[in-house]
This record gives sequence, C-alpha cells and structure tokens, in this order.
Amino acid sequence: MELWVGAIVLGLLYAFMTTGVYITFRVYNFPDITVDGSFTSGAAVAAALIVAGVNPLTGLLASLAAGAFAGAATALIHTRFKINGLLSGILVMTGLYSVNLHLMGRSNIPLLQHATLFTSLDAANPGLPGPVWSALALVAVMAAFWLLMSSLLRTDLGMVMRATGENPRMASANGVNVDRITILGLALSNGLVGVSGGLVAMYQGFADVTMGVGTIVVGLASVIIGQSALRVRSLGGQVLSAVVGSVIFRLMIALALYLGLNPIDLKLLTAAFVLLTLVLSQRVGKRQGKPFALAGPARSRWAWGLAVALAALAGWWALGQGPAPAPGPEAGRAKPLVGLIQLTDNALLDITRDSFAQQMRALGHVDGVNIRLDLQNAHGDLPTVNLILDKFIKDGASLVVAVSTGAAQAALKKVNDRPLVFATVANPFIINAGKSDTEHLPNVTGVYGWTPMDKTMALVRQIFPGPLRVGAVWDPSQANAVFNVENLKQAMAACPDLSFRGSTVAGSGEVYQAVQSLVGQGVDVLVLPTDNIVYSAFDAVVAAARPRKTPIVISDVERLADGALLALGYDYTSSGRQAARLADRILKGENPRDIPFERYESLTVGLNLDVARELGVAIPPEVMAQATLVHPAPQAAPGPAQEPAARAAAAATGRGKRLAIFLFADHPVVLDSLRGVQDELSESGALEELGLEVVVKSAQGEMALGQAIAQDLVRQRFDYIITLSTIALQLSSQFNETIPQVFGTVTDPYLTGVARSPTDHQPNLTGVATFQPVEAVIKNAREVFPRAKRIGMAWNPGELSSEACTMLARKVAPAYGFELVEANVTSTAEIMEAVQSLLIKDVDLFFLSGDSTMLSAFDTVAKMLHKARVPLLSNSCADIERGAFLSVGPDYYNVGRRTAAMALRVMRGEPTQGMPIESYVPETLCLSRALAAQYGVTLPDSVVGRAAKAGEGR
Amino acid sequence: MIEIKGVHKRFNPGSVNEVYALRGLDLSVADGEFVTIIGTNGSGKSTLLNAVAGEFQPDEGTIAIAGRDVTVAREFQRAALVARVFQNPFLGTVPGMSVAENLHLASLRGGAAWPRLGLTRRRREDYRDRVRALEMGLEDRLENTIGTLSGGQRQALTLLMAVMNAPLVLLLDEHTAALDPKSAAQVIKLTRQFVEDRGLTTLMVTHSMRQALDLGTRTIMMHRGQVIEDISLAQKRRLTPEDLLERFAELRRGEQLTDDMLDQLRRAYV
Repeated sequence: MELWVGAIVLGLLYAFMTTGVYITFRVYNFPDITVDGSFTSGAAVAAALIVAGVNPLTGLLASLAAGAFAGAATALIHTRFKINGLLSGILVMTGLYSVNLHLMGRSNIPLLQHATLFTSLDAANPGLPGPVWSALALVAVMAAFWLLMSSLLRTDLGMVMRATGENPRMASANGVNVDRITILGLALSNGLVGVSGGLVAMYQGFADVTMGVGTIVVGLASVIIGQSALRVRSLGGQVLSAVVGSVIFRLMIALALYLGLNPIDLKLLTAAFVLLTLVLSQRVGKRQGKPFALAGPARSRWAWGLAVALAALAGWWALGQGPAPAPGPEAGRAKPLVGLIQLTDNALLDITRDSFAQQMRALGHVDGVNIRLDLQNAHGDLPTVNLILDKFIKDGASLVVAVSTGAAQAALKKVNDRPLVFATVANPFIINAGKSDTEHLPNVTGVYGWTPMDKTMALVRQIFPGPLRVGAVWDPSQANAVFNVENLKQAMAACPDLSFRGSTVAGSGEVYQAVQSLVGQGVDVLVLPTDNIVYSAFDAVVAAARPRKTPIVISDVERLADGALLALGYDYTSSGRQAARLADRILKGENPRDIPFERYESLTVGLNLDVARELGVAIPPEVMAQATLVHPAPQAAPGPAQEPAARAAAAATGRGKRLAIFLFADHPVVLDSLRGVQDELSESGALEELGLEVVVKSAQGEMALGQAIAQDLVRQRFDYIITLSTIALQLSSQFNETIPQVFGTVTDPYLTGVARSPTDHQPNLTGVATFQPVEAVIKNAREVFPRAKRIGMAWNPGELSSEACTMLARKVAPAYGFELVEANVTSTAEIMEAVQSLLIKDVDLFFLSGDSTMLSAFDTVAKMLHKARVPLLSNSCADIERGAFLSVGPDYYNVGRRTAAMALRVMRGEPTQGMPIESYVPETLCLSRALAAQYGVTLPDSVVGRAAKAGEGR
Repeated sequence: MIEIKGVHKRFNPGSVNEVYALRGLDLSVADGEFVTIIGTNGSGKSTLLNAVAGEFQPDEGTIAIAGRDVTVAREFQRAALVARVFQNPFLGTVPGMSVAENLHLASLRGGAAWPRLGLTRRRREDYRDRVRALEMGLEDRLENTIGTLSGGQRQALTLLMAVMNAPLVLLLDEHTAALDPKSAAQVIKLTRQFVEDRGLTTLMVTHSMRQALDLGTRTIMMHRGQVIEDISLAQKRRLTPEDLLERFAELRRGEQLTDDMLDQLRRAYV
C-alpha cells in the first residue's frame, strides 16, 4: 500500500514541475532545459529559508520566485540576445549550479529537525495512515492547482500566452509584446518547477545540489505519457494530463520495483516507453491529420495495443524474476524482512553491503531460511530512494539498513515507526540522526566515522618533514567532502609550516585539470579527502600528478594500488560487519534507542612501495612500522605466506609444478624463441625431474585478450611464468606480483618499468634482455657502403622497444659517420608517407629496426625502397628473403634457450630477486647477393666472411 | 494619415543575398483613402506594408501615422493604430484556439492582457453577431478551433479581427491570392463593406489589375523600391486593366532591352 500511495504522493509533488514543463514544451513550444537548475534552486531556497527559521509557506513562495527568476533569465537571454532557446537554457542551468551552491552555502541542507509543510500536514492528520493522508491532502491541493492553471490559460493573459506559443507572428501583429510574454511564460513555468523542488525537498527531508539532474527528462516523459494516456484536447484536460503523467511515471517506477526489476533498466524502459508513445501518437496523428485529437475506434485500438504490450512486458519480467517478492502473510510473519538500501554504485558501498550480508549469515541470519534480506540500489536517483523505502515499508520490513549518507538521510525522514540502521555514513550528526552517540532518534542506530585527517597529516609529516605545500581537490557539492576538507584544514592549522592549496571541481570531468593546476602551483603533496566524485576519477589524479612526481595521499585503501603513495582510511568491510552486529541485536529484541552509534573499528594504513620507489621517496622505518597494508605484497617465496602452504598441499596431493609460457603474438621471432625454450626445457630433463606441466598461452596479438590471460595466470596460481615479447612482459608484470617470472625476447626491460638496472628489478621477476644489435648493423653498413652519408629510419614513438632501438641508433650512427634522418609513424596508414618523406630527403640507406608497426608493412616498405634503389637494413635475418639488403639479428632461438636456462635456475629454487637481468645478444649477419648485384654494390670480403648467410633474396 | 518620407531599406546588407528593397520611397496617404498597390515582383509592395506595420525599422527616412512618428516603434506598439491581413490565411489566426478565442484576442489589441476571464457570455454573443454578418455560417461554430476551418473562412475572420477594434490603418497584403474564386469574391465584398462603412485608411497590395482599378480611391504602381505612378480616382475611371498591363510591358522592355537585343541578334546571325 505504502509503495503505491508513496508513488502517487511523489507524482503529485513532481506534478508542479511537469505542469511547468507542459507550459514551455506544449504551450510555448520552447525547449527549456533551465528546469534541471530551477528545480534545485527551488529546493535550495526553501531549505535555506526553513533552516533560517522562516515559515515553510513563505519558503515555498521564495522557491516560486527563485524558479521564476531562473526562467526569466533564460527567456531574457533568448529574446534580448537572440540566442537559441535550447542554448539559453543550458547556459542558465549551468550557471545555476554555482548559484544553488551559494544559496545553500553547502551542498546539502537537512530539514529533519525543522518544521515543514509536511509536519503541519501530519499534525492535522485525523487518524489516517500517514501516506494516505498526505496523498489525500495533495490530491485536494492538486485539484485546486489544476483549476487555477486551466483557468489561467483561459484568461485574457492565458490566451495571449497560447497565441504567442502557437503563432508569434499573429500575436505580434495583434499588439502582443511577444518577448515580454515569453519571459512571463518561462518565469511562470520555472516558478512552478521551483515550487516542485521546494516541496520535494520538504518531503524527502533535505535539499541537495544534485537533486535536479535529469528533471527535464522526467518532465518531458511525464507530459508525453500523460497526453498519450488521457488524449484529451481541452485545456483542462491538457493540464490534467501533465499531472496524471507525473503520477503514472512514478507508478511505473514503483511497478518496476515491485516486480523486482533492476532500477538500472528503468531509464531504458522510460526511454522506450516515451519513444513508443511518441511514435504511436505520431502515426495516429498522421492518419487523422492532427496529433492528439483521436477518433474513437483508432484511439481505443492503439490504447489496447499499448496496454497489451505493457502487460506482456510486465508478465515477462514477473516470470523472469520468479515469484514476485510479495509473499503470503504467514511467510512474512515467520521470516522478518531486512531491507538494505544503498544510494549508488560505489566500491565503498558495495563492500559495505557485501560484508553486511556476509556477517549476517555468520550471525545465523540466513536469507530465505530465517530472514528475508532485500538488497536494493537506487543507482544515484533520489526519487528512487524514496520509492525503495516505501517498498520496504509496504513489505513490512522489520528493519531498514541505509548504506551511505544520502540513503540514510532519506530513510531518517521515511522510516520512523521501525528500526533503522545506517552504515558508511561519515557524520550522522550533520544529518540530524542524533546529538551524540547515545542521544539519538529512538528508532535509529548505526555505524559511522570520518577519516582522521590529523592522523593522515601526522604520517605525511613523518615522510616529508619541513615546510610543505599541501594540495587538495574536492567537489563542493559533496557534503562529506566539504566536511573532510574542513577537518584537513583544521589538522593543518596546528603546523605553521604547512600551507594549503585547494581546488574545487563540479564533476569528475574537471578533476584532471584541477590537479594539474595544483601541481602547476608547485604543491609538494596532494592530500585527497574522501570525495566520491574525485575518487571516481582517481586515475586522472594520478595521471595529472605524474609529470612533477607529486605524491598522492588518499583515504580510500581500496585505491592504494592505483598510484597513491599513502592511504589512510577505514576498512569498510568493518562498517558492514558492525552494522550487521547492530542489526543482529535489534532482531534479537533490543531497542535501538538503547544502542549507541558506533564508530568504525579498524583503521588501515597502506603504503605503496612501487610508487615510493618511482617518486624517489624514502619511507622512514617508523612509518613502515605503522603500515598495515603494503603494496606490492612482500615476496611470498621465502616468507611464511600462504604460497608455500599451497605448494606443500600440491606436493602432498602429488601434483607437480605448473609453468605458463605467455606470448603476445605468434610472430616468427617469438615462435623461434618459443622453440628454443621448449628444446632447452626438454633437453634439460626438468620436465620429469620437477614433474613440470607446461602450458603455452598466446594472446594472438590482441591487447584485451592479453590482459585477460595475464590476469588468469595469476588467478590460476601458476608456479612459474615465462613471458616472451615485451608486451607479454608488460601485461604480465602488471598483474603478477608474486609468481616467479622469467622474461625473454625483450629488447629493453628497463623501459617497461619492471627494472631500473640488471640488479634493481621487480623482486618476483628476472630475465634476458636482448637489445637489437643496432650497432652491428651500422658498423657493417659502413663497411659495405663507404660513401653513404644518411640513414633514414621510420618508427612509431608509441612502441617501447622501437624507442630503445632508435635511441641506440641516434647514439651509434654519428660514431660511424652517418647522419640519422628520422620520421615518425603512429599507425600503418602513415607508413608510405613517412618512407616517401625520407626518400625525398635523399637518404642513402634505410634502417628498419624492431618496430612492429613498420614490420607489419615490411613488404610495402621494401618495394618502395627497391624502386628508389635504397638498400634496406634490418635486425632480422628472415628479412633478407623479403627484400632486406643487410641484416644483423639476434638469433631468437638461442635467446629462447637462454631464457629457459634462467627459468630452470628459478625452478630449482634460486630466488628471482637475487638474479640479475642478463643481456644476451647472439648476433647473426645476413646479406642479399642479388640486391648487391642489382645495385652494383661490391660486398667487401671481410663482411661476406662474417655472414652466416648470404641469401639470394628477391 | 500616413506620411512616408525617403525610406530606404536593404536586407542582408553586405552579403550576396543583399536586397535593396526600398529606395527612397515617398508616399502620403490622406485620411480615409483606400490605396491599391500594384507592381512587378520584387518591386517592394509587401516591404512597404511591412514598413508601415513595423516589422522592421528603415535604414533611412521616417514613417508617421496620424501625425505620430512611428519610425522606431515596434510592431506590437503600432498594433493599436495598424491592423493587417496576411496573404497566407494560416498566419492571421491561431489554429489551436477557438473562433471565439481568436476574436477575443483581436479585441485585446491595443490594450493590456490581464489574467481575468474576459471571454464572457455577453462577449460571446457579441462575437456571434459579428461572425453572423460574415455570412459564412460560422455563427454555429464559435467553439470550434480555427484549425478546422477553410482558408476562405479563416481569411474572412482575420479581416473581421483586423477591423474589430477600429484601427486607423488597415493593411491588406494580397489577402485573397491564396483563396478559391468564390471565397475570394466574398472576402473582397467584405473588404469593400468594412472599409467603406468605417472609412478606414487602407493600403491593399494586389496582383489583379481589375481589383486594383475597381477597388479603392487611388492606385499606386511600384517599381524598384519606388512609387513610379500615382493614379487618382478620376484617372482610374478612365483606365482599363490593359492600359496597366501595357505600362508593365514598357517597364520590362526598358529593363531587358540589351538582353532582348542580344537574343534577336543571336537569332538573326546563328
């Protein structure tokens, strides 16, 4: 009952907004987007005034004025400056965001402790159930409003407004000041939207700066749905259909919730439904020659079709969802219902939810056995929060659990006749859940805590002593973020040699720029207080901080591995667990009034040593000692971690070791080394000796597949990994932090970041570095072409190994009297142009090193060079057959053998940490006699003598 | 009643689409005069009407109505003095509103629109009587929306709406051109009746030479943004449509002489 009545109440509150949208959209034919901003303005003004002690009714009038002002601004921009209506609306809506923040002074104003129109309404309740009374009262208000609005449109002024919307030219010719009437209409429309915002704020118990997002879409959908449903042409009917549309819209959401449909799909359903009604009415309209004026038979046929289609959809869901979650009364009595609601999708909230469910099981409350657990997610939509809460109440929940501040705030307003437990709320006191841990609302208890910024700053000071510029980024619309920043500033105030630089954002899209500007101002360290928006763009923070190597300190331990130096925060699993314990006590009969609020128990101090090393930051031992979480996890091999246990278990069950050979692509070079690895392994007898099981995985040259394989290797807990090719090494090292790994067929492991020098490398891996014999190519080229001056080289700067070769060539070429002329390519599409540009620059020779972009078009390149009679130099003997003149390449078969030999040492127990990276370049020189003859080049005997192969080539 | 002095108007100045529509137009219309306006395409007839209505402001020159300088007054500000009927019957009315509502809108011309229910039962009866006088059977369809009426009915209503609040000047821009002959005749009959009954100062653009001579007390001929002929009532009585057509033919010859000559030469020598 509550669910449906609640939906009707919400629908009626939003009906003021939809009527406003009807006026602009239908009467004025004006696409007015201001609504998203003016809705919030109305809420902001009402809330700010109510908190200041102003009568709620006066507050609502102020909402009307604020909305009207916003609408007038849009209309003025449109009429005065002749700016497109849509654009004018967007401009005003965007500006209103700042205005609304100023109006409220913060992002969120709770109204729980203040009398609103609904408190007065409840006081006048003659004894009906609360929501029913609200609905009845609102229906009465709405009837009056409907009468007023439809009369207004029939007055002289209303007629002038309608004429202006429908035929502005005629209106103007008849003495109507079209500009002024447009301003008036938009002011009226947005004034109503403002009233709606004010009422919704009072109803849900708070105003929030983000509450208007998406309002226009709801408004348009409601108007269209209402008009399609009623199909009345009269003015009164039109206004009524805007009201009815709003209610239908909310009922649709309620229905979806009732059926157990994921609210995510709801927006899709709305869009589909609106599209369907639009298309249908258009079609019918065309046949009838006019939209919305439908003759009887056609109307009923379409209406029936629509109804049947909807019923079918609903039935399909109901079937798909299994029995609707509305069990019989006896089931409800036997198993108490615990409803959990989270505001949005967010790692912290998900962890809280999951750990809650887990702990409940551990405490003996098993879903479906002795309790019913209903986990709901509003996906960030505040009206949906209210509907979900209504659903809990309708289903007779014994206990409601609200995860996140937003959900808790709405729940505090809605849930007052049954216990409410909140979790993952930073500060329950600012949302008026209580005055202290023990003195709080009688039906409410929960778990809370905010990150201790003083502790964070103390750790920061230990790592970076001395004067320090601290930068912080936050979104002022996030109530908890503002609160945390205040805490940070307080914590810093104690130390005079700390200075604070702040930068605010409006949305995750601005985070990168904000951090960049702070970094540009020269902050020494970024301390980011908890802020859902900023944290959702944490990768952007890391990217923006990287150029100046600015360390990042955060409060979310979950994101430590993503590039923060230090993370100090709560382990939110404890939030869920503690909330479950509170729920347990309540279910066992304790009164929430007697259960004090709890703070989170476990604080985690996390350090990322990779980042520390990258930034060149020395972590003092006293900080190290406080760390409860260190990334990357310490090497497992010699330590007493779980890995040896797993190994022992494997030995006990008689299972041998497993080795994975991971290659990125089935490139000839890589296959050569694979053959080398396999031969070395089988000849060494290690397969039998160690009981080794070997698995070869190739990513087929696909990056996504490569990532999946790399992750899978870690998940499957292979005992050893051999990677062949640079990309395979990069992918694997990103996910593998514990499994001993040996790499081969890699040009320059130092560029990949897994190592800084042969001895200083990621502890769990080592391998063989095989630089392309660039110098040998150039040295031999000098002997063969004594008069050549310029070597051309085209390469892709996006390839690490290519970059390594080019850097080497730059160094070596001048030593042999060559000038290196370079051209860059970023894709295969640019290769021909690049080669052409080099040929124009009169290069005598062309060097194609290990660049895979260039290699993929090798034949084309060889053909172009052949035409221009420019000899091609390369780093692989296989290229001679395809048109290279001279190649000095590593023998990758032997590289493979050497890689496998290293891997065998690891398998026999040598720790990778102590094994330096080897540099191994077995050179082979190859020449093309055919090309030499064609180009009239005499091959010096010294060079021919060194050549392992003097092939015929093409 | 209307004094137009040295009015120039260029549209889209400086662009390839520049149109020099009015080139120093002078026109003086006395109170109660009914002037028919003829002219070639693009001669500036409609632009002249729009200038009087206030749809744009002239680049140069002045316009006065009833002794008041209205050169910079906007269209809605002149609406108390000037009423007009467009060529397009869809432009003069609001299709989604009823006949009564449209008439009521016209009755608000020149006054302020307040949020009061002004369309009273008495008003409706008044409108019904006025509509009955149109002799188009609309008196029973007062509550129908304009969108359901024919072009002729709409144009007759627009005419009625234009004269309802007794404007000083009536502008008719080929208001029968888009109608079937029967409706056109009825609308012309109404026009004559309204203008004569109320002694309205009227400017009427037409393409029909017959109409131009039959109606009104004076005819002007426009060409290239100027008045080139001013024909008094006495002269009108002597002229036939053929005389007017001959005058147009002369104009064309004068303008296209070179082109024609070239054409003839080409024919003779190729």
